[in-house]
Amino acid sequence: MISVRGLRKHYKVHKRPPGLKAALRSLVHRSYTTVKAVDGISFDIRPGERVGFLGPNGAGKTTTLKVLSGLLHPSEGEVTVDGHVPRLREEAFLKKIMLVMGQKQQLLWDLPPAETFELNRAIYDVPAAQYKQTMDELISLLDIGDLIGKPTRQLSLGERMKCELAAALIHRPRVLFLDEPTIGLDVSMQATMRTFIKDYNEKYGATLILTSHYMDDVAALCPRVIVIDKGLLSYDGSLDALVQRIRPEKRVVLRLSEQVDAARLAPLGGKVVTHEAGTAVLQVRQEAVNATISRALAGLPVTDLTVENAPLEEVMSELFAENKARREAAAHEAPASESVPA
Amino acid sequence: MGMVRRYWRLLGIQLKASGLLALQYRADFFTEGITSLFWTFTALAPLFVVYGERSVVEGWGFAEALLVVGWFTLLQGILEGAINPSLTGVVDHIRKGTLDFVLLKPADAQFLVSTQRFLPWRAFNVLTGLGLFVYAFAKLGHGPSVTGVLASVLLLGTSTLLLYSLWILTVSAAFFVVRVDNLTYLFTSIFDFARWPSSVFQGVARGALTIFFTYVIPLALMTTFPAQAMLGRLPLPALAGAVVGSAAFAWVARRVWLRSIGHYTSASS
Repeated sequence: MISVRGLRKHYKVHKRPPGLKAALRSLVHRSYTTVKAVDGISFDIRPGERVGFLGPNGAGKTTTLKVLSGLLHPSEGEVTVDGHVPRLREEAFLKKIMLVMGQKQQLLWDLPPAETFELNRAIYDVPAAQYKQTMDELISLLDIGDLIGKPTRQLSLGERMKCELAAALIHRPRVLFLDEPTIGLDVSMQATMRTFIKDYNEKYGATLILTSHYMDDVAALCPRVIVIDKGLLSYDGSLDALVQRIRPEKRVVLRLSEQVDAARLAPLGGKVVTHEAGTAVLQVRQEAVNATISRALAGLPVTDLTVENAPLEEVMSELFAENKARREAAAHEAPASESVPA
Repeated sequence: MGMVRRYWRLLGIQLKASGLLALQYRADFFTEGITSLFWTFTALAPLFVVYGERSVVEGWGFAEALLVVGWFTLLQGILEGAINPSLTGVVDHIRKGTLDFVLLKPADAQFLVSTQRFLPWRAFNVLTGLGLFVYAFAKLGHGPSVTGVLASVLLLGTSTLLLYSLWILTVSAAFFVVRVDNLTYLFTSIFDFARWPSSVFQGVARGALTIFFTYVIPLALMTTFPAQAMLGRLPLPALAGAVVGSAAFAWVARRVWLRSIGHYTSASS
């Protein structure tokens, strides 16, 4: 469905050191630096897959999405989406895709969302019967029946985002790019959005790429993740395998009926992560989990016990730290060359 | 054929949206009306001053010069009601990065941005312009000829096209410099010259200004030509020139626009 080969997107930006003197000099002599937003990444995505793009701010996630949706032209590399070259922006291509951006909105600000829906229907040339069916479905699934008649500016952020999503799906895109779709939403609204997005993917077999800062979004929606860091692809595979690789240890959370001495936790094995007010969290190697649990149940007043993976946030920051260390080591070894792909 | 119908429908929906907005701000009709009348009288003031001293300036009598002001006012109505709001919106889109949504749509981006907003109440200037025509011909003591009217209707089309193309060119600059507020001000101030018959600039810099306003920024084609056509004074080659010239201008503007879109880098999020 989506194929990306050696994608690079470099920007030339005007660089100016601070200070008036430098500013004056730059009027005559401009110096430019090249920003490598995306620096050679390749991947394939099958029809109907749900893939999460992860990476720190400025890693190149949004740039990649924009290249995939035809908004930005790649500096180098081959990109195809369902057989189309995005940068050509053919009508047939644009009718198949949609990009939803949590931080930008397409709804007409002073008019009710219904007007934007109507406009999109005309732009996408959606037949009347299909439009009605899609609208009925979107209105009931997203529960926006009462909202679409109110001016957009009077809606709350969550309400607006639901209508944004509806506006984006009127033409039933087969490829959906979601850039931080849940940003700024409360927990329950995030959950609603996730369920809806997942249902849409399952019902229509739409291919989905998601970027999000909320790891919960990614964990709930994306069996596969692609990690981009400094414009380079640093991981592509299942989320579980990534967690296994970076943090093979499990977390054993013990709830205790009474406060116990720290000394009594030591013999359980593993490392104590936190221990306060009747709750102890231990980090234990996977193969030692069973033994630790038996020992805890035998020796401590345990009222409740759970085994969890390390929080994704921690896994990610560890991965990024690893990448950074590797980059620095590579730069140290070969100071002449620039950065070495991971 | 299907495509033409689709774009007509799109235009209809965009007009409807603007209409709904305009109805939300009904009071604007009155403020626009009063502002329009006020500006028209301000526009006429220098005319009274100039024609208080003499009856003819560079071959233009008072009533004839009034026709030029009429065209200026009418075009200003079109500019502010139909061209300016949409294209100022483009600058906003570029700054905020929401032009992304326009470019994602399977329809011509130039069409979408050019029709996104109309301010119907600004059409009051069009009425004022028509009023000035009536007054001017009453002063002249005769009506325009049929061919004169036909030619001036044709020129209304070319003038609108020219204005629109000039705006597209200005807006295209926004892709490169992002802040074009100053540019749009510059444009409106230059457009202000169009209230005078182009030949009054004959004496300035040995006619260089007249040439500038005819060929570089074709203000003469927008207001002086239609006024001359109404008076039955416009030579046929000039009429043909206006048609060809405006078509060429529109073509260039379209090329520049397409180029500029390619240059769009989208605001980072």
